[in-house]
Amino acid sequence: MNQRIFLWMAMAAVAPLSSVAGQTASQTTPKSSKPAADAKTPWGDPDIQGTWTSDDTWGVPFERPKNFGTRATLTEDELKDRQKRVEQSEEFVGTGGGNTHSPAVAELQAKEKGEAAPAPAAGRFGRGVDSAPVPGHWGEFARRPSHQTSQIVEPADGRLPALTPEAQAKLDAKNKVRREAIPASYTNWSYYDRCITRGVAGSILPVIYGNGLEIVQTPGYVAIRYEMVHDVRIIPTDGRPHLSSNIRSYMGDAVGHWEGKTLVVETTNFLGDRMAVGVNGDGGAPYSEDLKLTERFTRASGNSINYEMIVDDPKTYTATWKVAFPITQEPGYQLFEYACHEGNMAMHNMLSAARMEDKKAAAAAAGQK
Amino acid sequence: MLFGGLGMKHSHILAATSAAAFLCMIPAVAQTAAPRIPRMADGKPNLTGLWQAMGTADWDIEDHSAAAGPFFQLGAIGAIPPGQGVVEGGAIPYKPAALEQKNKNFANRMKDDPEVKCYMPGVPRAAYLPYPFQIIQSNKDVLFAYEYATTNRLINMGKPQEAATDTWMGTSNGHWEKDTLVVDVTGFNGNAWFDRAGDFASDSLHVVERYSLLDANTMNYEATIEDPATFTRPWKINLILYRHREKDARLLEFKCVEFTEQLLYGDLVRKPSK
Repeated sequence: MNQRIFLWMAMAAVAPLSSVAGQTASQTTPKSSKPAADAKTPWGDPDIQGTWTSDDTWGVPFERPKNFGTRATLTEDELKDRQKRVEQSEEFVGTGGGNTHSPAVAELQAKEKGEAAPAPAAGRFGRGVDSAPVPGHWGEFARRPSHQTSQIVEPADGRLPALTPEAQAKLDAKNKVRREAIPASYTNWSYYDRCITRGVAGSILPVIYGNGLEIVQTPGYVAIRYEMVHDVRIIPTDGRPHLSSNIRSYMGDAVGHWEGKTLVVETTNFLGDRMAVGVNGDGGAPYSEDLKLTERFTRASGNSINYEMIVDDPKTYTATWKVAFPITQEPGYQLFEYACHEGNMAMHNMLSAARMEDKKAAAAAAGQK
Repeated sequence: MLFGGLGMKHSHILAATSAAAFLCMIPAVAQTAAPRIPRMADGKPNLTGLWQAMGTADWDIEDHSAAAGPFFQLGAIGAIPPGQGVVEGGAIPYKPAALEQKNKNFANRMKDDPEVKCYMPGVPRAAYLPYPFQIIQSNKDVLFAYEYATTNRLINMGKPQEAATDTWMGTSNGHWEKDTLVVDVTGFNGNAWFDRAGDFASDSLHVVERYSLLDANTMNYEATIEDPATFTRPWKINLILYRHREKDARLLEFKCVEFTEQLLYGDLVRKPSK
């Protein structure tokens, strides 16, 4: 998690550049001799097995910028611009991340050139992990530019429907807790920071790294493993009903079925008022226990699946909404063990630092008396 | 070594050895008698299903008597149930220093047992935790999804891959030997334990697991444990896994991280001001 936070900080410098950089999976079709779009398993189900990533949508805004209106795709010129940014982020990653905001890196670079270290920048950079000389870092990036103007494709303006008043209140309360200057407890952090989970949506919405998932099929089941926080979903496709509504969980209860070549997965039984259907399971208003997600996985080509997710939670959103983007297979992309909680030294350190701040504040207050 | 000393365990070695010998015979019998077992289209046994070990191996893989648990407040719920060990030959062949470490581990188990902290269980412990696990066997690889901590591992059935880095669950390469799924696991980080009794290995651990269906609903599990840094010789664990046959039994979610946070970080949470 230490590393996660570092990455976010390191990538903050690229975010403006990449927030427009993105992609849909159709521009280049890497040669793949094996699976075709209509590949079947030996038992006759559509074959969507393999390792996939939502990297190609990294950088596509979740909600559509208002100036695009109801236009869902980029113009040719806009696409060219995005292509350029894809190339830039590729180069950025290829050259070690160039986190030039870091005084530590600047100091190293100055030393190499035999110059004096520059004065540290004001603000949060230069504190914490940035105060030690560290190299630049990698991140994941799109291989091809997406044509999409947003990840949300319904409603027509590509923006989240209005929240219900109760959901707005929950969002405000959550934001207040997350933004507390000196966190009181581990509960100030997101479920992702706490290494509990990113939830169903958070596990596939593209972020700067860890966008990989792996699909494994057997007669009667589809399983999806997500690299980040080592999540896994076991999805029966044999027509069984949902679990009793008394059994609730972060990843919910998923049941699936095949509609032609499309895997349709309906997930309910969520724990309400904790996670959000947004980036890393924390972006946006906490969903209610009535949330129903309907996902569709349709193999579009040998190396791409069209993924979509319909979000239905009347207690939170005044209308249903839909996210859609391709997930792709990339040569050499592999899932590794993500032992998040096991290595969550950052939680201990952040809380320890917060208590030290408390002590300092108390001492200062006592001194003033 | 939960109760008494080594001597006590040795008195059980004979019994354990003969039990182990009997267990070992079963797969052989199973292969020749060819009981009806589920199979994939390619004829390989189909291990897909929800499985769980019975017994008390997670408390202590060696023979152990019933004993009080660490917290008297939990009464009988927190007590340690007695169990016949799953170690072939009865005792783990620790090197002297390692045995000392194991005893230290046991003494400090409430602080150091990775299970207390909801850390990944490693192999072989994942197989006999008191939680079910789901096998999804595809025509390519085999997925093991454990209920405890949402731990999961993919058994690569293709060209064997070298461990890219050390991990809790190791790197698993599998192949079939007749009707037995053989999984070779390397690349461990040495942090996992074998049980709540503090049994452990180092990062030079090498485990070879053998999964053999005895019939449609029971499966023999054998694990050969090799770690020259910790043990004087390779040794084996042997137990039986049972299929959950309850109607609509499925793997549920046991994300235990949040049940450990107060334990791990509680002393760093701001106390309410007076």
